[in-house]
Amino acid sequence: MEPAPPVISVADLHKSYGDVHAVDGVSFEVGKGEVFGLLGPNGAGKTTTVEILEGINKSDSGKVSVLGLDPNLDATQLKERIGVQLQTAALYPNLTVVELIDVFRSFYKHSLPTSQLISDYGLEERKSGLTKELSGGQRQRLSVALAMVNDPELIFLDEPTTGLDPQARRSLWDRVAALKQEGRTVVMTTHYMEEAEQLCDRVAIMDHGRILELGTVDEVVSGHFKERSVRFGTVPAFDDAHLAQLRAVTRVAHETDETVLYTTDVPATIGDLDRLADQVGAQNLDVAVKRPTLEDVFLELTGRALRD
Amino acid sequence: MSRFTRGLVPLTIANVKSYVRDRGALFWTIAFPVLFVVLFGSIFSGGPTTFNVGWVDQDQSPAATHLRAGFAEVSLLNLKDASQDDALAQMRDGKLDAVIVVPAGLGAAMTSGGSGAAGSPFQLILYTDPSKQSSSGTIQQVVGQVVGGINQQLSGKPPTIAVQPQTLQTQNLTNAAYFVPSILAMALMQLGVFAAIPLVAQREKQILKRLSATPLARSTLVGSNVFTRLLIAVVQTLIIVGIGAVLFGVSVLQPLAVAALVVLGAVTFVSIGYVIASYARTEDSANTLASVVQFPLMFLSGIFFPIAFMPQWLQPVAAFLPLTYLGDALRQTMVGGAAYAPLYIDVLVLAGWLVVTFLISARYFRWQ
Repeated sequence: MEPAPPVISVADLHKSYGDVHAVDGVSFEVGKGEVFGLLGPNGAGKTTTVEILEGINKSDSGKVSVLGLDPNLDATQLKERIGVQLQTAALYPNLTVVELIDVFRSFYKHSLPTSQLISDYGLEERKSGLTKELSGGQRQRLSVALAMVNDPELIFLDEPTTGLDPQARRSLWDRVAALKQEGRTVVMTTHYMEEAEQLCDRVAIMDHGRILELGTVDEVVSGHFKERSVRFGTVPAFDDAHLAQLRAVTRVAHETDETVLYTTDVPATIGDLDRLADQVGAQNLDVAVKRPTLEDVFLELTGRALRD
Repeated sequence: MSRFTRGLVPLTIANVKSYVRDRGALFWTIAFPVLFVVLFGSIFSGGPTTFNVGWVDQDQSPAATHLRAGFAEVSLLNLKDASQDDALAQMRDGKLDAVIVVPAGLGAAMTSGGSGAAGSPFQLILYTDPSKQSSSGTIQQVVGQVVGGINQQLSGKPPTIAVQPQTLQTQNLTNAAYFVPSILAMALMQLGVFAAIPLVAQREKQILKRLSATPLARSTLVGSNVFTRLLIAVVQTLIIVGIGAVLFGVSVLQPLAVAALVVLGAVTFVSIGYVIASYARTEDSANTLASVVQFPLMFLSGIFFPIAFMPQWLQPVAAFLPLTYLGDALRQTMVGGAAYAPLYIDVLVLAGWLVVTFLISARYFRWQ
């Protein structure tokens, strides 16, 4: 059986604004039903890349295919089939939720019933309220609901949970998971590593208009870090020279009141650590094992935190 | 369904709803012009609608009596007989608006076979107060027409044009009759120059960007914005004309022409509003720019007083401004009155502004 053609295929994409190379040779593919994350700081080129895919910005060069269409040429046809949520886009403040959804539905040949969107996105209580009176979480859900009015095959989410409290964030994550369940393809940008780790099948880390890393979260992380960290509350009786000689330990570090051992073999290191604790009479070491995160990868790649 | 019409009606309804729910916008486009009509109308036409005119008969002939009867028929004039000195004194005291003096010799001139043969016509003397521009202008008009009518009767030919008081009233521009079309023109101008500000705000708040990710055509977006403004213009017109009719008795002579001019004027100023929006980056700067544009238009286009009363050096400026022509055209078609330019010139100038500003905004309006 032939593998399904990719929903998005980008090859050597370039886009400049004057002297600034906003997108400088980007290539990737997104398969059907995949949740794909674009990560990177502001100005990394994520937004420009996504806008080109959405058909609202034109590329300078490169080959782009979205749902089999060329966004430069078939933008209108493409827009019938995709859904777009923009984090920064305000809504018509003086329309009610229902009115706004209905207006958006009128732009498309085919659309989902308003009542279904209202209930899918938990907006029943506020459906007659003006959008300017919605809470941040409700507004964000409405913004995603508007992206869904045309029952799109491919959805672009732009920082969908920025500014939301943890509960609202969880509920949006559930919605994104549901979109995947329904067989839709999702491309999302995010600043939150936890969000990318939770939701994305694959991620691309971008900076300065280029993709620095591309793959599943595990691939990206383990490609950079063979080590795991073993952490425990600092014990004054330990000295770093001893700790560094435990099996498989490559490095010893201290973070606030924790000691961190980087290791290539977690069980060996923990076994040695136990024996050392017995020797010095330390009890109840609160040991935690952590793998490095995307945040650590990003820090190493760019020398700065993702949320600059 | 063509691409242009898809979403047009729902988006226009949404725009109107947004507009009506925005109290500030509602005030500026509906309440503000209404206040203007009521205030200016009341202030400037609060006085009597009749003029007290002193009648000084120094001739005492049947012809003079006949002449007096001709003036007395005009309901606008309230004649008061007096001696010349007495009448002029009363006028200085403000008790009379004008004085008409019939010098001795009228009867003799009539019986000698009219004025024609002798060359120069018999002179009536009319005193008016030039500081009361509108009342003196009106009185001069009325007197001129009465005399004209009587001249025709005296010439022996059957009167081809009878002096009808009704004709006199429509031709005579009371203050309210001047203000109502003027303020309608001003309201359309304001509606227009601020028209594109919602689009600038939507651009700034990335609503335009969000809409550009839908199949909605830009022409639909603009079309809906223009239709929204036209609907508001219609409502404004009905309110202003209604108030003019109910409070000040100003009726509309040519309703169809007025309707066409309201549309042309609204579209022209909306197009000017789009040029403003093309040069403004933010909603605030667009608002400032629109205000900067609207004030000279308001004061230099013969809205509050006829252009003839403006200083000479400013009059060429008025001749350039589109509001001059919209005001003039609306006055001509609503209440008659003296034309600043022939109606077709008014229409041509407005259409010229429309075409030029449309081309500029089509070229320079920034969507992102």
